[in-house]
Amino acid sequence: MLAYSSLSLDNLEIKEEAEKALRKDCIDVPAYQAIEAAHPVNFYTPNPIIKIGLFILTAIIICFSLGLLTLISFDMLRSEKGFASLCIFAGLACYGALEIFVREKKFFRAGVDDALLWSAAGLLISSITYLYDGYSSPVSWCFFTFAITLLATLRFADMVMAGVCFLALLALAFTLMVKLGPVAKTIIPFAIMVLSLAVYAIGRSWRKQYAFRHYNWCLTVVSVLSLLTLYLAGNYYVVRELSNSMFDLQLEEGQSIPGALFFWIYTTVIPIVYLYLGIRKKDAILLRTGMILLAAIVFTIRYYHSVMPLETAMVVGGLVLTTGAWALIRYLKTHPHGFTYVEPDEPSLADKLKVESLIIAQTYTPGAHAPSNTTEFGGGTGGGGGASGEY
Amino acid sequence: MNVKVFEKLHAEGLLSDTSLESVKTAEANRLFSLHWEIKTLLYLGVLLLSGGLGILIYKNINTIGHQVILLIIGVICAGCFSYCIRQKAPFSWQKVNSPNAFFDYALLLGCLTFVTFIGYLQFQYTAFGTAYGLATVIPLVVLSVSAYYFDHLGVLSMAVTNLAAWMGIAITPFQLLSANDFSSDRIIYTGVALGVILLLLALISAKKDLKKHFAFTYQNFGAHILFIACIAAMCMYEETYLLWFLLMAAVGAYVYLQAFKEGSFYFVLITVLYGYLGISIVVTRLLIRGNDLDVIYMGLLYMISSAIGVIVLLIKLNKKIKHARV
Repeated sequence: MLAYSSLSLDNLEIKEEAEKALRKDCIDVPAYQAIEAAHPVNFYTPNPIIKIGLFILTAIIICFSLGLLTLISFDMLRSEKGFASLCIFAGLACYGALEIFVREKKFFRAGVDDALLWSAAGLLISSITYLYDGYSSPVSWCFFTFAITLLATLRFADMVMAGVCFLALLALAFTLMVKLGPVAKTIIPFAIMVLSLAVYAIGRSWRKQYAFRHYNWCLTVVSVLSLLTLYLAGNYYVVRELSNSMFDLQLEEGQSIPGALFFWIYTTVIPIVYLYLGIRKKDAILLRTGMILLAAIVFTIRYYHSVMPLETAMVVGGLVLTTGAWALIRYLKTHPHGFTYVEPDEPSLADKLKVESLIIAQTYTPGAHAPSNTTEFGGGTGGGGGASGEY
Repeated sequence: MNVKVFEKLHAEGLLSDTSLESVKTAEANRLFSLHWEIKTLLYLGVLLLSGGLGILIYKNINTIGHQVILLIIGVICAGCFSYCIRQKAPFSWQKVNSPNAFFDYALLLGCLTFVTFIGYLQFQYTAFGTAYGLATVIPLVVLSVSAYYFDHLGVLSMAVTNLAAWMGIAITPFQLLSANDFSSDRIIYTGVALGVILLLLALISAKKDLKKHFAFTYQNFGAHILFIACIAAMCMYEETYLLWFLLMAAVGAYVYLQAFKEGSFYFVLITVLYGYLGISIVVTRLLIRGNDLDVIYMGLLYMISSAIGVIVLLIKLNKKIKHARV
């Protein structure tokens, strides 16, 4: 089922663990070298930076090859069906190339294989759906997306494919229930909640199982997404606006949906539950999702009730966040309950590329834009000059 | 760390008993780090606070009066800077770690409010005259001095952005392409000049060992702006594009050699990609002279085969750089 050899994946994990232990001085260098020699990893995985370059270049090749194919077979493509068949051919070719690279060259997360996999899936999904019923029904869209990404996930354990697969499953459930009729429509939020919760629970238990060890990262992605959808399915804003626009409720401004109280409670309580559980269980996934969703609470409430003017809210929020963070840092100095403010010692790519300083530069616009006209800033002919023009 | 893996290794005889024990104790004593979560909160807080105060002042300008506002901004700025001066470790041309987590943000807030302060003075009272230069030079000087004095990469990025603004270009990452009109001669020449200055600064930092870790930021901004200016020029000028290509090749060779010396994948990658773009522009310009269908075929075939070539090149380069850092 999996395209990669299980032994190599295991050895890769052993090697990564040994590296961590080496960094923490739990083992010495000879021991690390012995482990590395006894568990060789024969994958080809370039440096993450080079990987980005390989991805971009592979995408370029695929685009231009598709262009060339279209040009060569221009006379044969009399209809859109013909073009869809060409896309299927191209998708299969991408998949074939991917299999060859994985089997012969042992590419593993090398940029080339990611680009091939994603474009193969994209080409196949869109053209098969077109050939099946001409894009007309969302159900078939969701179904083919789900089926193809599921197969891709099983074969290549790709995180993006796993995420898309989960979202397609939810979309499939949604579109099917919309088709079923009015009763089904009203229970859509609850059905999505149940589905998300079920997927989260399954993902959680599978992540601990030995048999699914190679899919660990896929399951992590699906867990994060399922926590988000579990919340969004009951978020007041989402439920109100979605049912208003899709099911013609024709709500006036200020009118609320049936069962509003439940959805309001759900909107505000769930992120706090996530945070609480995240801290209780020291689960980074729950904790970070909870943090993101706290912002969702603020936006949802502010959208319907103007509690205070924006600037006051910003100042108060800023004060609370800064002093809260400051207090937390002081509190964490003695490492209470196994929490700490000390940086994790795994070096991250963002750190090395000094991403933080770039973010600061981005949010800062140089001051003193004096209204004098000695220097004009070239105003917005948008993106023109360089990169894209010549292709 | 996954203790099961180490138990397996121990059973295979690859790990000594003491190593296994130390792994187990390290894993048992592992702390759950909230570092990034808290840092995000702090940064959001500083952003919200400065933004909110800005709007608040803007809306109430009639009731508060300009002097009071200036005073408030000045007090915040002075407070931040005095806190930083009291807390800071002694100055050194080497990397100095910040004394505590709050220090970085206090400095950031101080610098931001200082820029606002100067901007406000200029906007309201034209304190620095109508010559545009002075009002941007003062923040530039203060930002650069603070960046070196307090050793803060974020402030250094602000200083570089300010230098560019002083010369008339926007170089924040998302505005680099959208806010600059690269079809104007002035922007292209300024871009080249700025890029060269920044690359020189990077070289000086590294060679003279003056805050060596700043070299990356200089080199990063410098290389991007220089390459983009060259590419813009190649697209713009019909006659001299080959000259610009030569300039770009020279710059590329320089950045590439530097990157190899530093073992930096990042700069190797951007050199290769920009260089590839430059060559493609030259090839396209040559191909465009003929104008039948063959040209399109040739172009497509060129793109496909050249991209394959660059992939092979990157894979080779990846093997060549040992002990790489980024």
